[in-house]
Amino acid sequence: MQTSTSHAYDPAEDLVDRLAGLSPESKTYQTRHERAKVAAATQGSYNTLFSPELPGLTLDERLLVALYASRLTPSDSLAAHYRERLVESGTEAEWIRVAESGEPDQSPTTRLAAMLEFTRKLIRNPVEGDREALLSLTQAGLSTPEVVTLSQLIAFLSYQVRLVAGLQAMKALEESV
Amino acid sequence: MSRIIESNGFTNETLGWDAWLDVVDLERVTPEQMAVLEESHPQAKVSDYYLFLVHQPEILRQRSIAFNAIMYAPGGMSRAERELGATVVSRLNGCVYCASVHAQRYTQLAKQDEVIEQVFDDPYTAGTTPREQAIARFSIAITERPGAITADDIRDLKEAGLNDAEVLDLLHSDAIFAWANRLMLNLGEPVFPSK
Repeated sequence: MQTSTSHAYDPAEDLVDRLAGLSPESKTYQTRHERAKVAAATQGSYNTLFSPELPGLTLDERLLVALYASRLTPSDSLAAHYRERLVESGTEAEWIRVAESGEPDQSPTTRLAAMLEFTRKLIRNPVEGDREALLSLTQAGLSTPEVVTLSQLIAFLSYQVRLVAGLQAMKALEESV
Repeated sequence: MSRIIESNGFTNETLGWDAWLDVVDLERVTPEQMAVLEESHPQAKVSDYYLFLVHQPEILRQRSIAFNAIMYAPGGMSRAERELGATVVSRLNGCVYCASVHAQRYTQLAKQDEVIEQVFDDPYTAGTTPREQAIARFSIAITERPGAITADDIRDLKEAGLNDAEVLDLLHSDAIFAWANRLMLNLGEPVFPSK
């Protein structure tokens, strides 16, 4: 995990800029990078949550949750990104199909079904994510550190999708005047 | 200044918070976990919230850097207005604990609490000034329809007097509470002292 997250932040590799279509000459880009620490920690969070070395949930599981969350929000740009990463990672097409257009109960494992069901509640209506919802994850075999990873992942995606959407809107206004 | 406001199940009273699953035992933390706790929050070592999240220390470390930079960095939008955005988002998501903490912070910074009462009563009509109303409207829009934010939503903020840096700070505050609410609300529950 240290290998991917201890690297210095490189603005040229920033995912949010890429998804929002921001380039260094745009005013929105310049405004965003005035808050350099936020941009670096946002990228650092992404790198950590999707690092192959992160213990617990497999990278495929994390990417499937990300695709499903992006589809529910909905965010086309994020869904396309996580779908591309799943294909690159060699995930079985049937698993990708469930996250992209299926329902949690069609998952090939009860473990993935429980994770996607929890994702649905937190993305659609977080107040539904009560104690019973959390315990359904441990009943499906997730350890406590895995529950922490899943929750941080869904919460981060909720942040990332709003950040990208807001920056896209700032850019659209900038280009309209 | 410190009157208790209670409405629709929300309060500005000081609440506790309990995790629903096992937290890390402070006697058994690794040096990495200890370092992350110390840089996350002054009270992290006695907080169920941080002791639960530190099961995955590197994720918590990055989250804390982002959170602290968004809510506390100097310049840009006032810290009080960032807290207002945070309180509106927490109210909409139903995070009673987050709403209490950030309602208090808003009041400490702004030296007034009328808008907090309005947010608790009905966030959709909240705001004692056109600027506060615009902040509340945007916080609602980005929370409820993140897939459909347009240039018009940003124009609304600009017309209420926010500059680009302030728009970004509001976007960051609202977005980081999409994150924070889904931890506080979904991993444990508030503890009410007087009930």
